Amino acid sequence: MNFLLDSSFGLLGMNRRNAEYILEHNPRRQYPLVDDKLRTKRMLEEHGLPVAETYLEITHPFQIPRLKTLQHMREFVIKPVRGAEGRGILVLTGREGDNWRKASGELLKQEDLDYHVTNILAGLYSLGGTDDACFAEYFIHSHPVFNSVSFRGVPDIRVVLYRGVPVMAMLRLPTRQSDGKANLHQGAIGVGVDLETGVTTNAVHKNHFIQSHPDTHQPVSGIRIPFWNKILETAAGAFDIFHLGYIGVDFVIDILLGPLILEVNARPGLNIQLANQRGLLPRLRKVDQQGKEVESWTPQQRRDFARNLAHL
Amino acid sequence: MKKIRVLLVACGFIFLAAAIVTFKIVSLGQAIRPEYGRDIWNVVIQMNLVSKGERARVRMTLPHDNDRQTIYHEDFIHNLGFSVTEHPRSGNRLGIWSTDLLDRNTSIRYSFSTQLTGQRYSLSPDSRVSKHPEKVYDARIQYWLEPSKEIQSRSKAVLKYAKKIVGREKKTTAVVHRIFDFVRGEIKYRSEPGSKNAKETLNALVADCGGQARLFVAFSRAAGIPSRIVGGIVLDRGVKSITHVWAENYIDGGWVPFDVVNNHFAEIPNNYLELYRGDYVLIKHIGLAQFDYFFVINRGSLPPVDKYLSLYSLPLHFQNAVKLLLLIPIGALVVTIFRVIIGMPTFGTFAPIILALAFREVSLGIGLACLAFMIAVGCLLRKLLDALKILVIPRISLVVTIVVLMAVGIMLGGNFLGEKRLLHISLFPMIIITWTIERFSVLQIEDGTLSALKTAGGTVIVALAAYFLMSLPDMRFYLFTFPEILLAVIGLLLLFGRYTGLRLSELWRFRELRKVHSENKKSL
Repeated sequence: MNFLLDSSFGLLGMNRRNAEYILEHNPRRQYPLVDDKLRTKRMLEEHGLPVAETYLEITHPFQIPRLKTLQHMREFVIKPVRGAEGRGILVLTGREGDNWRKASGELLKQEDLDYHVTNILAGLYSLGGTDDACFAEYFIHSHPVFNSVSFRGVPDIRVVLYRGVPVMAMLRLPTRQSDGKANLHQGAIGVGVDLETGVTTNAVHKNHFIQSHPDTHQPVSGIRIPFWNKILETAAGAFDIFHLGYIGVDFVIDILLGPLILEVNARPGLNIQLANQRGLLPRLRKVDQQGKEVESWTPQQRRDFARNLAHL
Repeated sequence: MKKIRVLLVACGFIFLAAAIVTFKIVSLGQAIRPEYGRDIWNVVIQMNLVSKGERARVRMTLPHDNDRQTIYHEDFIHNLGFSVTEHPRSGNRLGIWSTDLLDRNTSIRYSFSTQLTGQRYSLSPDSRVSKHPEKVYDARIQYWLEPSKEIQSRSKAVLKYAKKIVGREKKTTAVVHRIFDFVRGEIKYRSEPGSKNAKETLNALVADCGGQARLFVAFSRAAGIPSRIVGGIVLDRGVKSITHVWAENYIDGGWVPFDVVNNHFAEIPNNYLELYRGDYVLIKHIGLAQFDYFFVINRGSLPPVDKYLSLYSLPLHFQNAVKLLLLIPIGALVVTIFRVIIGMPTFGTFAPIILALAFREVSLGIGLACLAFMIAVGCLLRKLLDALKILVIPRISLVVTIVVLMAVGIMLGGNFLGEKRLLHISLFPMIIITWTIERFSVLQIEDGTLSALKTAGGTVIVALAAYFLMSLPDMRFYLFTFPEILLAVIGLLLLFGRYTGLRLSELWRFRELRKVHSENKKSL
């Protein structure tokens, strides 16, 4: 028998994730809170959780010229409000003459930028193809601890939260292939993180295990993620805001501001199991064993409980 | 314990479907008639039309149900321009195919299945021929006493011979027997290009089945017995174009068959298919340079179904539409299995189903080739539109316009090159193709060409699987006969809806974990 089917390993598949965790624990009416990034950010801000500052919101095409007001910013990011899987995100690092400069160094004409924003508004990058809005926000400078293992973009940390308890975490490193984006299926690296210590373990790139970053050739394991305690606690606190039972909370660590919540995902992917070389099911079962009151624990209690899950 | 609830509901649906099917077969006997297992035939009538470049019309009589034959599974292949009407007096069903301008040669195929039973009639020995038949029979039957163009039952010669044959006999059975024996004994059989009429037959004493039957009918009418010609085919496995004609006399309130040529007195074998009543012509046509037809006859295996409260009671043209509709859930089931159990990516749920239906109409090779061509060209043009910075909605509208133009172009080209199968491209789902192009392009930009090609390949594989399942003739037959099978499909879909096991593709996706596992084992 294939050991992946073995229940003691506990690999969580797409079907079970959808049927028993997402459909069961994520009430549909809560989805707009996390699908709309602006709303997510506002709610997190209200509850005192750290997020990147929003500079500008564009909800209608006539507001596009307002982008010009950002021309003296050294750098900022443009994101669709309902974008999925990092689609439609554009990083601009200032201007060169009449053109905008992309993070990759490429130059972007004003009309190219307008077109991109128009596409966002028309819903090209949104989940259902519905009309969308976009916003510009603070451009995060990654913590130097990741300098040796990131290529262009900002690494982020995905924490999967089940009933408020962080059950698994992964560091996602952009590569040349992923074009600075931190999404695994676009070619980013996923690195497993030990829940107890916040130290990175194994890495996976395009479904294969690797030892070092393919672009910088530096080892990706053994990195101690700073603010680990705070990250776990902040993630656990996010549950009390959204009341979604199975979510992925994405963090970035800014050099100045520390850990910031980038977004919340109500359908977190399964590759995190590959990065950690662990199945999610034993940990999910362990949380379920605590009964209903696990959801009324304080974030600190859930954080401490999560650290013990590392051994499963 | 939602799982158990779902399991129960799903099993309930499957059980319900099985129960209804069983009930229909066993208890009501309304569906498949068990006594009909035997003489089932599939018949195709193919007509080849050679164009004269003008308005053309073909009229043929279609078989109808009677106490000996059941007609089912009727289908017109190339059915555009076909209509079915009923002739008011004879009750014959007429299929009329017409076109305002026939500018190329074509063929029409009409196919059906039939269940035939042979029958032997016992005639009461006491029945007598009425002296004043015009007073005895109602108008409907009267009609079959009157002479007609080819059956000159009141001509002097016929009346004279009829008197001679019948003599003083009054008993109906004996009278008919004398007429039967006379025609059978005196008229020699010879196959002829066109049948003689009754008078000519009497003069020549040589005729084919048509002439002999006409003479038999003429004598019967002259003797005061309502009588009529019946035309049809004697079914034998193979290809033939010979039709057969026999007669029916109205005796004791019922029509009794007589076939002089093959010596069937008051009986009919189980391979006589009736196509029309009265002195009709099976097929008539105008506006054609040349015309021929033949029958392809095979033994069938799918039994007929009672029309009571079943989909078979729908008008013929709608039956085909319903057959198509019933296949959609089957396609959805295939997509579900591929997505949930196997984990194959597709462009949406509906694209594979609708493509499978389109392949059925267009034929597989042409369908695949056209699909690949349209999507490739569509994606290239979509890239160009991207460079022009066109907004999303107008861009999709542009792509659909291009797709329609391509389809029209393919049709024109096919017509020009004489590849008529290309004309069926008009049945292709243009909107689905447009969506596929759009999603292919977006996926290509976001996840790379490889990922987009994988999803496209998955869509085609699932469409092919659905296509082959839908193409099974038994599948269509049983769904149409027992639409409640779809309840079982609902049950299965519910089960798949709570399938929480790994997808097959996930075993591949997480294959690297196996290495870890074997290493762990070694270290232990």
